[in-house]
Amino acid sequence: MSTTMTPVKARRSTTEKEQETPAWKKRLTSDNAARVAALLSFFLFWVLMSALFERVPGPIEVVQRLVEEFQRGEVFGNFGMTLYRFGVGVALATVVGIAVGVIMGLSQLGRAFFESPVLVGLSIPAIIWSFLTVMWFGFGDLSPIITTFLTSVPFVIVNVAQGVRGVSRDLRDMSTTYNVPFSRRVRDLVLPAVTGYVAAGVRFAIIIGWNGVLLAEWFGGGGGVGYRARWWYDANRFGGFAAWVVLFVGFIVLLDRFVLDRVIQRAFRWRDASA
Amino acid sequence: MAVLTIKNLAKTFNVGTPKASRVLDDISFDVRGGTFVSIVGPSGCGKSTLLNIISGVEEHTSGDISLTSDSGGPARMGYVFQDPRLLPWRSVMKNMMYVQNDRSEETVARARKYLDMVGLAKNADFFPGQLSGGMQQRVGIARAFAVEPDLLLMDEPFSHLDAITARGLRAQLQDIWAQSKKTVVFVTHDVVEAVELSDRIIVLQPGGRIYEDITIDLPRPRRQTDPTVATLQAEVLGRLEAMKTLSRTAAA
Ligand SMILES: Nc1ncnc2c1ncn2[C@@H]1O[C@H](COP(=O)(O)OP(=O)(O)O)[C@@H](O)[C@H]1O
Ligand SMILES: [Mg+2]
Repeated sequence: MSTTMTPVKARRSTTEKEQETPAWKKRLTSDNAARVAALLSFFLFWVLMSALFERVPGPIEVVQRLVEEFQRGEVFGNFGMTLYRFGVGVALATVVGIAVGVIMGLSQLGRAFFESPVLVGLSIPAIIWSFLTVMWFGFGDLSPIITTFLTSVPFVIVNVAQGVRGVSRDLRDMSTTYNVPFSRRVRDLVLPAVTGYVAAGVRFAIIIGWNGVLLAEWFGGGGGVGYRARWWYDANRFGGFAAWVVLFVGFIVLLDRFVLDRVIQRAFRWRDASA
Repeated sequence: MAVLTIKNLAKTFNVGTPKASRVLDDISFDVRGGTFVSIVGPSGCGKSTLLNIISGVEEHTSGDISLTSDSGGPARMGYVFQDPRLLPWRSVMKNMMYVQNDRSEETVARARKYLDMVGLAKNADFFPGQLSGGMQQRVGIARAFAVEPDLLLMDEPFSHLDAITARGLRAQLQDIWAQSKKTVVFVTHDVVEAVELSDRIIVLQPGGRIYEDITIDLPRPRRQTDPTVATLQAEVLGRLEAMKTLSRTAAA
């Protein structure tokens, strides 16, 4: 049996810990550091792959090709075209998705009616839709718009319907006792309550819809980012192909970061006010 | 004239299933216009269920229930719940307007008037989350009065508040009621509160029947410090104790 006792230091307060941690350590363990690290590792991986395989173009080559595309005046026209089709498709998917989602969330009958079509819609990949729409609508704007719409709308519907079903029973009962008309209930109770779900749905719609628009352009051949990427691909010039991929992936990331994030934050102002 | 008439009302949850339970058995009473009626009874005896049936949120299994309005149209109802039930993403004023039929200047002015009466005129643009629990409950009360209801239902509106806040709100409720003379059905498990506020107390017993119907004939405003109020409170409390003993021996 031991008789000596090791003196134990009293536990440190958060203020103490805060003061003792050096600044460089704090910065290295921050969220931003993790983001930078992810970007950096991806970049290194890319450089490595391009060094190992001849058919993988490296970053420098891709940037060169991109600059050349700008100089040729190919970027703005094609990008604008794609953006227009994509924008119309996603906007349609958002409006229709919210409407159908609200119906599915509020009414048993609506749910029974839409459940199977939505499930089927979820399971059909963008590539199938792009084949079909090119067959149906030919090479114009319509096929990429419809493909974007069809691939993304089920995701909006599912998210919104789930949100609507979760709307507080207490607030719904309150609305019933006060005879609040249906349209006002949707606008002031249901929609604000499902903002988070709508945002998640639209985010999905954008990411999935992007696939749709590019694939339809790839097969449709009526101009646009997908068309241009394919053009380089068919010419066996992977640098040009990769340049377009980098361009549109970068665009989606920026859109998500700087537009969607802010819109969502604005929609949740009331929550911050409560804190 | 009776604003609310209830005859042989019964409610069974989960009818036709093994879980079926009869909550209200045979309830008959009517409420005259301009009176303040309390429904008192131990927790679980079906008070909230009864209010929900009156408000139309819950369906009744058998019996009759009818509501009349002064206007001849469908009866307008106000409901103050145990919790505030405000839309967290709308300002106080927008919450007041959410339950109104129209957006006219007159209606807006009325909503402001009642907000002012509960002392929250300055908080019209606040979000509910920026108010204390007591203030939120006051918004709920103002909202209910501001629809100028033919019938105002209240379900233990002060039971979630601390004693001091609750006492203040009870006094405020008395004042507003004295000015508006709305017909009120007020549910509580607190006899003391019921005696302070009501013209009449309907005592509900476990099993969903009316045990007693007591008229409270005391001058208003009533204050806790008034000995006649305290005496009557003690008496009603005694009768409720008797009921509990009775139903316990009946169960045994
Ligand atoms: N939706 C429901 N389904 C089944 N039982 C219910 C439901 N709502 C209430 N009850 C039951 O009815 C009884 C009375 O409930 P309630 O009216 O809330 O009582 P009180 O308001 O007097 O405390 C309780 O036993 C409760 O469990
Ligand atoms: Mg209750």
